Amino acid sequence: MTDHNQSPVPSHVLAVNGLTKDYPGVRAVDNVSFSIQSGTVHCLVGENGAGKSTLVKMLTGALQPTSGSMSVNGSQYLPGNPQDARDGGIATLFQELHVVDELTVLENLTLGMERSRFGFLIKSKLEDRVVQTLYAIEPSINPSARVSTLSVAQKQIVEIARAASSGASVIIMDEPTAALSEREVERLFAVIRRLRDSAVTVVYISHKLEEIFQLGDAVTVLRDGKHIATKQLSDVAGRSELIEMMIGRSVFQDYSPRTNISDEKVLRAEGLTNSVLRDVSFHINRGEIVGFYGLVGAGKTEIARALFGADKVAGSIEFKGRPVGRSPKQAIAAGIALVPEERRTQGLFTNLSIRENIPVMNLRRLSNNGVFRASVEHDAAVDYVNRLNIATESIDKHTEKLSGGNQQKVVFAKCLFADADLLLLDEPTRGVDVGAKTEIYDIIRNLADDGNSVAIFSSELEEVLGICDRIFLLYSGSLEAEVINGTNVDAPHILNVVTGGHVGGVQ
Amino acid sequence: MAQSTNISQASVSAGNQVAQFLKNYYIYFVLVGVIVVLSVANLDRYDLFERGNFLYDKNIINVLRISAPLLTLAGAFTLLMVSGYIDLSVGSAMSLSAVIYAMLAINGVPFLPAFALTVLAGVGMGLINGFLVVRLKITPVIATLITLSLYKGVALLLVQDGVSAIKSGGGLKMPVWFNSYGREAVWLGLPMAFWIAVAVTIALVVAQNRSLLGKYAAATGGNPTAAKLSGINTSKVVIWLYVLVGVSAALAGIARSSFMSLGDPLSGDGMELSAILVVLIGGTAFSGGEGRVLRSFIGALIIMALTIGMLTLVPAYYQTLVIGSALLAAAASNHLVSRKETTS
Repeated sequence: MTDHNQSPVPSHVLAVNGLTKDYPGVRAVDNVSFSIQSGTVHCLVGENGAGKSTLVKMLTGALQPTSGSMSVNGSQYLPGNPQDARDGGIATLFQELHVVDELTVLENLTLGMERSRFGFLIKSKLEDRVVQTLYAIEPSINPSARVSTLSVAQKQIVEIARAASSGASVIIMDEPTAALSEREVERLFAVIRRLRDSAVTVVYISHKLEEIFQLGDAVTVLRDGKHIATKQLSDVAGRSELIEMMIGRSVFQDYSPRTNISDEKVLRAEGLTNSVLRDVSFHINRGEIVGFYGLVGAGKTEIARALFGADKVAGSIEFKGRPVGRSPKQAIAAGIALVPEERRTQGLFTNLSIRENIPVMNLRRLSNNGVFRASVEHDAAVDYVNRLNIATESIDKHTEKLSGGNQQKVVFAKCLFADADLLLLDEPTRGVDVGAKTEIYDIIRNLADDGNSVAIFSSELEEVLGICDRIFLLYSGSLEAEVINGTNVDAPHILNVVTGGHVGGVQ
Repeated sequence: MAQSTNISQASVSAGNQVAQFLKNYYIYFVLVGVIVVLSVANLDRYDLFERGNFLYDKNIINVLRISAPLLTLAGAFTLLMVSGYIDLSVGSAMSLSAVIYAMLAINGVPFLPAFALTVLAGVGMGLINGFLVVRLKITPVIATLITLSLYKGVALLLVQDGVSAIKSGGGLKMPVWFNSYGREAVWLGLPMAFWIAVAVTIALVVAQNRSLLGKYAAATGGNPTAAKLSGINTSKVVIWLYVLVGVSAALAGIARSSFMSLGDPLSGDGMELSAILVVLIGGTAFSGGEGRVLRSFIGALIIMALTIGMLTLVPAYYQTLVIGSALLAAAASNHLVSRKETTS
């Protein structure tokens, strides 16, 4: 294998050389070497478990490498803790936000860098500087506003401004768009481009390949802890090449029309209205996969919760000819199951095992006149682990120790055990890696082929276009349009509708 | 296409302003309300401002004198809770301080050295709490439950010999200054102990708004990870806050023992509950991050006014119930206000 050594120009702001991290029994990062050019957006991609987060933890000083070296601007760099990394000019924007809600924007921006005399705060030029930095990257945020009044996207921008004003030359962003709507993503991208123009280097980690092509200058691909490639994005042929590098097999699957959808309208909703929803009406057929697509806040979760009876809503919901929507208990009894977006907090008992999680929605099935039948629980667990291909060495493994994709499968198993024939899936693949995503899509298709109906609530266009038979487009609480999926779906039109463009307006 | 991103933001802040106003000022309305109710309730027996009614000058002075320990404690306790920590040992620390102070005084140590040594004992107790919580990483509730027993145990041990408290008798006599600190008027009819409480509160209000410690307490309670990643030594912040609470407990103990003219090893019993009541009524979040020193001070005034004001109205055994109901009302309204804030 030849080494494509680029000429050693000092424009490399960050370089890693032979970096290796061993855990007992596992080599998480294996002899990785690459370098990042100054003033670029450098993307880092790879499936979950490819070693991205371990690599980032070494860059930020949270972990120490087993062997290998790193350098920043040509000089040796070995951070012992996050503070060292910051002093070395490397700041990180983690997935969970690290701002203090109770303080103002300005107080957050200067946190830990205040000037003081005898323990009392004094005004300094620092404040003017951070306010200027904030204004330069996002003028709409008021420095004296309390952070608790900001949106998630705005809080992220506050964190970015903090990193930028602390003089960081590299800002690492770990999945920054996971919780953002598409419009907010655009704003974030504008911020990132402005940062790049001011010679700050951004290391950008994302599962969303679309973003990488939109934003990145170069990309580094990791697989199984190994460095696969570092390339200029202009040299990458397209998403399929990138995906191939990431997993070595092709996952991008276009929608293929499904034949076995019946005409029976299994669910009818008429005029759903509440504080978010405005007169939403639709129906779902037996065996059909429908998608509800819209920005964050467009009403997707609200529809899911209304169908499940978790929120009060005006209007009528009929499932298999009988009214539902009064309570989750009624919905479960009728055969509707909800897989919430926050599966860790709302969908799973993470401190219980797979075996114990699967029957919780239908414990009655485990009892024989009040006597617990362990064999039913055991058999069901074994059955679903096999059928849904849940990767685990034991059905007694605690679900908190499973990967995101496998956790999601356990939640599915839970619904299936409860004999649900309408599954409401809220953002079913959020935080799930590409490989597990395809598997989850396969499971969903199989469920639908077996005569179950599935409603997917998603803010990823790629997802709804890839799997749904019919797509409802939501904007600001109302159902704006319905699209039959097929080969010639007009994606720009869909994006136009969900961002507030008029139906049938601009092509 | 023009996209209006600011409309929703503007309406949010309009709704927020009302909620924010209520949140910041409701405590003052509650205080005024309590005083009005207590005064009006006595009107059938007394005239307003007349001896016997609540708004009678001697009564007001009396309420404020008795309130001095709780008023002293409220500020530091608020800052500690803002940082997300708690100190259940404050009552015992207060008792032990009262005993130490009384022992020093009765054995002839002059006022200033006795005062300083007792405050030093408060520093020590705060350091022990901070050490258990920060260095040994014992959960704050458990750690300070342990020291609750320890400090009280030491206080009981110091008194022993079949008496219930350190007081004049058996050849030893309390000096005159001992009692006057807590009772004798120095300004506006109020004693030194009260003015120390006011001074402590002013100092802590300034500290909360203008010092690193105040800001770092909010950061530590609001988002500990963010605070650490910002290079803040949160351990140091927490130890400092425990020391502040220890010192305040010592000052409260001095105030209480002066007022009662004895060093009672049980004098601080239940003080931790009063302190928690007071900061909660003042709107401090149990989860940390949120809370103001001044509002807790007002909260302490409300609790003390209720406690003492009711003595003339209902039998003493109703007190706890009425205070519990007041707390429930405060907590409920506080909850409603903050819920409105987040949903609007």
